[in-house]
Amino acid sequence: MGTLAERMKDSPSRRDPPYRPVMSLSEEERHALEARIGTVQNFGPETLRRMISADHSNIELRKALVSSIRSAEFAGVDAFSRKVVEWQNWPVPPTLIMAMARQTWDEVRHAQLAVGLLQSYGGEIGEYPDTLAGGNGGPAARAMQEQMLGDDPSDPLISLSTTNVSLEGAALALFEATSQLGRQIGDELLEHCYDYNWADEVTHTAIGDYFVKQICDGDPVQERRALSVHARHERMRAGLSGEQTEEIRQFFAEEDERGATALGGPVVARAG
Amino acid sequence: MAFTIDLGPCINCGLCRRACPTECIHFFTTGRRTHVIDPAFCIDCGICAKVCPVDCIAHDPHYVHEPSVLAEAKQQAKAWARRRYERDRAARAAAEAAVRRLNPALASDD
Repeated sequence: MGTLAERMKDSPSRRDPPYRPVMSLSEEERHALEARIGTVQNFGPETLRRMISADHSNIELRKALVSSIRSAEFAGVDAFSRKVVEWQNWPVPPTLIMAMARQTWDEVRHAQLAVGLLQSYGGEIGEYPDTLAGGNGGPAARAMQEQMLGDDPSDPLISLSTTNVSLEGAALALFEATSQLGRQIGDELLEHCYDYNWADEVTHTAIGDYFVKQICDGDPVQERRALSVHARHERMRAGLSGEQTEEIRQFFAEEDERGATALGGPVVARAG
Repeated sequence: MAFTIDLGPCINCGLCRRACPTECIHFFTTGRRTHVIDPAFCIDCGICAKVCPVDCIAHDPHYVHEPSVLAEAKQQAKAWARRRYERDRAARAAAEAAVRRLNPALASDD
């Protein structure tokens, strides 16, 4: 029997009702979803927001919207609570562990808000499937993350750069837009719940940035690692939304050049 | 005039960078984890300051633009706005079509 951190690493994410990712729906479940929201491709916050904006009266669309976001809140409870345990084995400040505990509780509150919102629409957790984010704290997702980031996702520096700063930074726009939608259609509960989440997300991003700065302080190699995984993470998201920026292209062109120089210029290094 | 970021309170969320119509806010290519505005390409639109969640972006009243660079930046911003408008219009039309398929009564209202 290993330490709690070792045991947690191999334990999959669990929830009651269990995670039901949209990618693995049966034919029958898929048809049921399509009858409610059109196509499976519509099951994402941005499309659902536009659909609600076009038809305020369809309460199913609101349930689907909250369901598409709440998967990430449950995944957040799972992911941040793992960090509280696992990061005790890393040389990080104790305040960072406390910050992760606080974030776990924040995600619990966000999940509670989502449950309350769904109930107000006559819905419940499990009625709609989970988005890609659902149940991704376990070992399988970790291997995928490692491949995507080209670095160790369990390293606090890597996790903070990608989850706290890059992902939660981007989530600010999602929460703001959802809160605005609530204001636009006169749904005060939707407006206030996501305004509340937005405020927490600002704090999470600030926490991430603060500790990344601490870990990287005076260490350009660590800072480069943090930048590199942040860029990879953002490139992946931008690839999904088609909003690739020129700066990210430039960053990876520079990375390639640096790599080529490192490989092509070891004449001096080898001689040394 | 141009805008400038106070690096002390900046939390590197990247909202300003992703909202900038001239992509003149840099992060990955600064060599450091800092968001920096290239004032030469800042068209003074103020979108960055508006979206900043910690209010750390403000006017730099001392910056003087080189007119030809500013004109180029404004052209870039117009192209960006056009792209965004077209994309939003297409997405809105797709969403409207989707809700009409779900609720045929909406189609007959049109």
